Amino acid sequence: MGKTAVVIPISLLVMAGMVLLLVQADRPRVRQPQAGVALRSAGASAELSLFCAASNRSVLEPIRERYERETGHRVQVQYGASQTLLSQLQVAGVADLFLPADDSFLRIARESGLVAEVLPVGMMRCGLVVRRGNPLRLRSVADLLRDGVRLVQANPDAAAVGKLARQVLTKQGMWDSVNAATDGFRTTVNDVANDVAVGAADAGIVYDVVLYGRADLEFVDVPELQGATSQVSIGVTTACSQTAAALHFARYVSAEDRGLEEYRRQGFAAERGDVWADVPELAVYAGSMLRPAIEDTITAFEQREGVRVSRSYNGCGILVAQMQSGQHPDAYFACDVEFMKQVADLFGPATDVSQNELVILVPKGNPRQIAGLQDLTQSDLRVGIGHEKQCAMGWITQRTFAESGLTTKIMENVTVQTPTGDMLVNQLRTGSLDAAVAYLSNAAGSAEYLDAVQIQGIPCSVATQPWAVLRQSRYPRLADRLFERIRSAESQEIFAAEGFRWQLSENPAKP
Amino acid sequence: MSASGKQQYPMVSNGRRGPLRDAVFFLVLGGLSSCFVLLIVLLLAADLSFTSPTAFAAALRKPEIQAAFRLTMLTCTLAAVLSVWVATPLGYLLSRFRFPGSRIVDVIVDIPIVLPPLVLGLSLLILFHQPFPLTRWLGLADTEAAGVGAVGAATGRPAGWILEDWLEESAGIPVTYRWPAVVLAQFAVSCAFAVRTMRVTFDQINPRAEDVARTLGCTRGQAFLQVALPQAWRGILTAGTISWARALGEFGPILVFAGATRFRTEVLSTSVFLELSVGQLDAAVAVSLMMVLMAVAVLLFLRWLGAGMST
Repeated sequence: MGKTAVVIPISLLVMAGMVLLLVQADRPRVRQPQAGVALRSAGASAELSLFCAASNRSVLEPIRERYERETGHRVQVQYGASQTLLSQLQVAGVADLFLPADDSFLRIARESGLVAEVLPVGMMRCGLVVRRGNPLRLRSVADLLRDGVRLVQANPDAAAVGKLARQVLTKQGMWDSVNAATDGFRTTVNDVANDVAVGAADAGIVYDVVLYGRADLEFVDVPELQGATSQVSIGVTTACSQTAAALHFARYVSAEDRGLEEYRRQGFAAERGDVWADVPELAVYAGSMLRPAIEDTITAFEQREGVRVSRSYNGCGILVAQMQSGQHPDAYFACDVEFMKQVADLFGPATDVSQNELVILVPKGNPRQIAGLQDLTQSDLRVGIGHEKQCAMGWITQRTFAESGLTTKIMENVTVQTPTGDMLVNQLRTGSLDAAVAYLSNAAGSAEYLDAVQIQGIPCSVATQPWAVLRQSRYPRLADRLFERIRSAESQEIFAAEGFRWQLSENPAKP
Repeated sequence: MSASGKQQYPMVSNGRRGPLRDAVFFLVLGGLSSCFVLLIVLLLAADLSFTSPTAFAAALRKPEIQAAFRLTMLTCTLAAVLSVWVATPLGYLLSRFRFPGSRIVDVIVDIPIVLPPLVLGLSLLILFHQPFPLTRWLGLADTEAAGVGAVGAATGRPAGWILEDWLEESAGIPVTYRWPAVVLAQFAVSCAFAVRTMRVTFDQINPRAEDVARTLGCTRGQAFLQVALPQAWRGILTAGTISWARALGEFGPILVFAGATRFRTEVLSTSVFLELSVGQLDAAVAVSLMMVLMAVAVLLFLRWLGAGMST
């Protein structure tokens, strides 16, 4: 009993000691932000958790350290294989952010409803890895089929690079022979590079970036894999409860002058990202008629992202004049394509989003019995229309009148020309007008006071609203995300409720 | 040549051909045995030749490696002591008694040994994060009825009583992706080895001494504590050693259940994985060699402790 009596309490003490030390070690290490660096005002202060592909560790660690130093906010990164992290996300769903080895995992996560926003960070090229100096002179995929060349690949069912290689080589009819010539399949692209490094293989198919800092290995760009690239992106999970904070870090990682600097330094190709700002302010110009359709969506976007969106709603003619005089918004949502064309040189490709129909608005009950454009020529009728120089609505109205051949007669009755349709609605409601030519969406909130009379037989009476992002915008990615939000299913419902017809055909992702 | 390192037996000559036969005997046995020993030595030599003292020192200087070293030591020790605490009574019960379901229990304790490591990690993750099926039958699936530990539509996660939420909200002990997950993942495997060791240990101890003690007035508990346990010390130490070593090498369940978060759940085995993932073979080998040194040091210490206790 002697030894037992001593050892049992000792073992209990050892356990208690271990637990105490582990609890002590688990306490978060508090870091102070750099002096003079403003802390962000948006977002929560709780620690963020990021699931990150182990292959991105060398590039992410300096970014994370810099972020913590600058902002004082902590990011807890859990590294692992992308497949494992995705499974953990599905089962436990406890991470705020997900940065897998490539986009294919984010696509799966998005389709499963695990990820909301996706911010691109870098691009990787597919090619061959050989030992430094390329001793076997391997210059093409065809060279891999030579006798004596030991080839390893990443598993095409498990690793993205394997999947990409199979896809590209299958199209060229080479996959079967390359598959037969492969000595082994590994689970990750790094395993393939490691095999070549230790001499277990002569060549492998890899992404260029995995060879960063590896003096013993060389990347060979081969013609068969030209254009085979994969994107690396960071996604915010749908389980995230601190989206503003998560997006703050995601914006930092994808910022031109922050995270992308490090990604480029480590061999990634990257498209132009946003300039870093603690709380960026996105300037959006939009036609007045769009205000009811997008205002709530923009407010929700601001809250989720922890950013500010300064919006200017006005007649598109006025907005175009402002832009031509040098005021450039980050994004422009025009009332009609015509008013986008006038500033097309400033913006990237425009996307047509919705359509709005020109109608004749009359007081409830239609006391003057107006059934079409012809009736606007009645004597003693007070008609209001949009100003053709100041807004798209006025411009389309004039085209419609011209198409009907009634311009002169109707213009005799026009008592007011306004820069926005809302003003016409107000004047109708106060009784200062008998009829107004405006968009159907202008009357959406006044259904109990106004009736809308359709203009039939004139196709140009329909306006199409395009969206475009300024070529020189400081925040092109942020603008793209706002557009994504505008394309969401919820936003589409608002557009429909406000009298717009949705034009985009693709099925948008849920925000 | 002596037949054993501990006891010297006189070499008895069996005629003129005796020494020759003995030489052949030792040559065959030595040859076969050395295959394994040589393999291990060659592996270590290969590792040593792949790295350099500079890389080894650089790896040791990294704060994340130092943190992983500390965490590894603490969690392995805790998992090993816990394993011994559980395995000793369980091994004793399985060895001494035939109770209803004892064969099933015997099989169940072996499951972590045969289960693929990643599956074990996934099973732990599911256990802690998916609602218990029974809670639906008991009417706890409803969020309000379930109270703490139940989650519902508001969080977008399945409704029902969830172990992790209950532990975090009621007891304030988050498990997944924290150090308790590391210990639990290590314990789940190492305990199975400890149970097997303790079972064999008690099988080899003659129960007659305990029976005699009971005829002299000892209770079952006294017979266990005062008679069986003192005889099982070597087995307990072996079980502890095996558990510790097993916990040190554990990787799959930790990666899935505890993750590889720097300064939080990164143990040395995951450090090796992380270094390999970024092509840092030098660092990976240096950390591997550090694990070898740790294992050797601990094994020597435990053997010394065992020798001390035997005397």
